[in-house]
Amino acid sequence: MYRYDEFDAAFVAGRTAQFADQVKRRLSGELSEDQFRPLRLMNGLYLQLHAYMLRIAVPYGTLSSRQMRKLAHIARTYDRGYGHFTTRQNIQFNWPKLKDIPVILEELASVEMHAIQTSGNCIRNVTTDQFAGAAADEIIDPRPVAEIIRQWSSLHPEFSYLPRKFKIAMTGSPNDRAAIRFHDIGLQAAVNAAGEIGWEVWVGGGLGRTPMVAKLINSFVPNEHLLAYLESIMRVYNRYGRRDNKYKARIKILVHEEGLESIKGQVEAEFAEVRGGVLTLPQEELDRITAYFAPPDFADRSSDKIDVAYQSIIDPAYGRWLDNNLHPHKQPGYAAVTISLKPVGGAPGDATDAQIDVVADLAEQYSYDELRVTHEQNLVLPHVAIADLRAVYDVLVANGLAEGNNNLITDMICCPGLDFCALANARSIPIAQEISKKFAEPERQKDIGDLKIKISGCINACGHHHVGHIGILGVEKKGGELYQITLGGDATEGASVGKIIGPGFEAEQVPGAIEKLVDFYIANRTSADEPFLDAYRRLGEAPFKEALYGTV
Amino acid sequence: MEILTGNELTSGATVYLDGHGNWIEDLQAARLFSKEDKAELDSAIVATKATGRVISLEAEEVEQVEGRIVPKRLRERIRAAGPTAPLTLNGQAYDRQHLGEDGHVSI
Repeated sequence: MYRYDEFDAAFVAGRTAQFADQVKRRLSGELSEDQFRPLRLMNGLYLQLHAYMLRIAVPYGTLSSRQMRKLAHIARTYDRGYGHFTTRQNIQFNWPKLKDIPVILEELASVEMHAIQTSGNCIRNVTTDQFAGAAADEIIDPRPVAEIIRQWSSLHPEFSYLPRKFKIAMTGSPNDRAAIRFHDIGLQAAVNAAGEIGWEVWVGGGLGRTPMVAKLINSFVPNEHLLAYLESIMRVYNRYGRRDNKYKARIKILVHEEGLESIKGQVEAEFAEVRGGVLTLPQEELDRITAYFAPPDFADRSSDKIDVAYQSIIDPAYGRWLDNNLHPHKQPGYAAVTISLKPVGGAPGDATDAQIDVVADLAEQYSYDELRVTHEQNLVLPHVAIADLRAVYDVLVANGLAEGNNNLITDMICCPGLDFCALANARSIPIAQEISKKFAEPERQKDIGDLKIKISGCINACGHHHVGHIGILGVEKKGGELYQITLGGDATEGASVGKIIGPGFEAEQVPGAIEKLVDFYIANRTSADEPFLDAYRRLGEAPFKEALYGTV
Repeated sequence: MEILTGNELTSGATVYLDGHGNWIEDLQAARLFSKEDKAELDSAIVATKATGRVISLEAEEVEQVEGRIVPKRLRERIRAAGPTAPLTLNGQAYDRQHLGEDGHVSI
């Protein structure tokens, strides 16, 4: 893992002290709320419906056990004993007191963490594939470059007051698990004709009220020029982004309105100016950062095997967990383990302080001290020896973390919704809870197979509903809640935006509506091997609509 | 009818202005402002802003149902009662935030 150098440590300590003084001045009345609000937002502190909410950055979703234990400590000491992992691979605490924020930030700084740039019109936390550095299918571990982008974008003076917030996601694998085509900039590792590794650059993707699939602006940018290329895009955006209209201020609107070729021409012109200058990344610096992310010194476990079919007979719940929650590892004899934060009836992404501590212990004992947060609101132990899987599973069972539902219908993304969020129009968490109860039966989940439901409580789409195979969007109608259903969204390399299928439903009708869609899919799939999304693409919208609403 | 609501500076807790000029937790003790009370509502907002201790001020429409004050918007009903989602992972109901050190704020 990356370790702060003197500059990083001094920078975070300085910022923590600065904000502590600002909080003190606010509490004493020296600063008004109008003066204080932009300062607290720059430090990740929001005011939500019931209390303040502190959003803490987890750079590229990577945590050590020590950092994870600190999060548990903060949850226990300053909050209500739980935290909420988010689609930005961050963690949020929902109940901190203003006076405690300075000490929380001091605690975070002691483990090389902070809440800087988790709000505001700046470049936010860079997100990656949760299996980065472990996945068998990756071309390159994206985290060294993600760390370099973090350093470049932290308090970048030119990009601290952008037209709107800006999100960068990257993946080192051709199988996109980081939704890069739905970010302002998406980076995908690529290999050129000479066999060199660089980056495909995608621009202008996003969700929110105007969902857009990103466009490919450059099919190969070498590592050494990546910062110069990113800076060129940022400059064009900063110059022409719609500062006059908040709803048109994201780069996706600029790219859409101006056209890719026009934007590309301007980016290339800017790139021609800055290329080869101070932003050229020296190989020795790339090597220095990459060394922090060197693979663990894996013990040779290449002869270890596990017979999942046999284990499934002996212990079906363990078998399900093995079936669904393991991802192939590049090192023979190892697997990446997804820890589901989606228990039946639970709030997606929530974990208690005790659970956070347990996961930290597991990472230390079984995963070379490494942890990941997924954008689908789960946790990952990236490097677990196959021979240790049972021991890990038993600890997870004892702590309510052993749901074997990764990528199944109950593994939903869900925003906090109107239960917590000041922007929301409708609740999300109770909808997810009721859907997970309806589909709780493991055999039924297995029969349904891969199906991603994503739920947002407002058009800002924090719950990624546009890219759910089934998306659910809560809206306000006549003082109550109404839920629109979309079908056909896809956050992966097959990127697509879901379409609203018809009139909305009241909250209590939503689980039944989902069941009608699922039942129709099962009755009409070519075989159990045809996933929901493939069946939808083959059959089209009309029969699903008819199944849901009757003959129209 | 309207009530005046906001969040306590120190805790972020949802608070309401009562008939005595105090900011309190209990929605049922909130002062009701009729349309004729517009000037008083505006002056209460100005006076509260001057304290700097209650933030995110909003006038909210309410109804009286069987003697109880019920906000028209679901958002406000949730603000008054706390999150509606069933039990937290710790097995306790989500409780709303309670007043912190500024429980005495008045105008």
